[in-house]
Amino acid sequence: MEIKTMKVLIVDDSTVMRKVLVEALVKLNIQDIREVPNGMEAVVALSRDEFDLILMDWNMPRMTGVEAVREIRSRGFSMPIIMVTTEADKAKVLEALKAGANNYLIKPFTHETIGAKIRETVKTKTG
Amino acid sequence: MKVEYINPFIESVYELFSTMLKVEVEKGEVGVYWEPPNNSDIVALIGVSGTARGTVALSFPVSTALAIVGKMVDEDVRIVDDMVKDGVAELVNIVAGTAKGKLNDGNDNAIDLSLPTVVRGTNYKVDYPTRTAWLEVPFNSDLGSFSLRVTFERMGDNGDQNDESADS
Repeated sequence: MEIKTMKVLIVDDSTVMRKVLVEALVKLNIQDIREVPNGMEAVVALSRDEFDLILMDWNMPRMTGVEAVREIRSRGFSMPIIMVTTEADKAKVLEALKAGANNYLIKPFTHETIGAKIRETVKTKTG
Repeated sequence: MKVEYINPFIESVYELFSTMLKVEVEKGEVGVYWEPPNNSDIVALIGVSGTARGTVALSFPVSTALAIVGKMVDEDVRIVDDMVKDGVAELVNIVAGTAKGKLNDGNDNAIDLSLPTVVRGTNYKVDYPTRTAWLEVPFNSDLGSFSLRVTFERMGDNGDQNDESADS
């Protein structure tokens, strides 16, 4: 799948971080982008719409990112999920991957890093 | 508070500004205070718990907060609204989160962080480990001046007061 045709869901409680991520995705020519502020609303969004990629923060109110990943996988959704978070501890990375996340991007990041991480994730996922 | 504890936070400020804002920052002299400095327009705070206890704060004049958040979202930001408060909260979240990784140094989950809080004006009080001092590091950048403030003690620290005169 071409990156520019992907439909992406951004999950982050920070309005500013969502804007930063949208800007980075637009630079990759991705136009179909939705944003929600927590894991709970991400799960709701998935029940209503289809997405090709999720960018998921960790620390959010109502439902954390890793809880949302577990819930999303338990519901049978298989789209790639990239954690985008300040949680850099090895145990946290392993916890997220075990929950079902496909890749991990640590804040702070550059637009170039996001692009590289998305390409790497999609390539791995699609083989 | 041992002076070397401030270093991961300083490194995190450099990383944040060079990666996400593409702006160079210049560090000033570290100051030591027994009360939290109380002279900024906007302060973003985050609590530290676990094997260490304390508070990490970034404090900004309004002009700097507007310039930084404007740069982050690529917009002309002119008033301190919820987006600006959200932006400075995210900045302290990233600085503290990056420093946490450096401080934990392989000891997973040794230090935890709270969700950030943003306060405006000088009429606020912060609960912090009363035995420890605040270290303040002033920074300057093309986006304006700001300060990093940290009060921090690790379990097992003793006689910290002796360490605090180093940069005063």
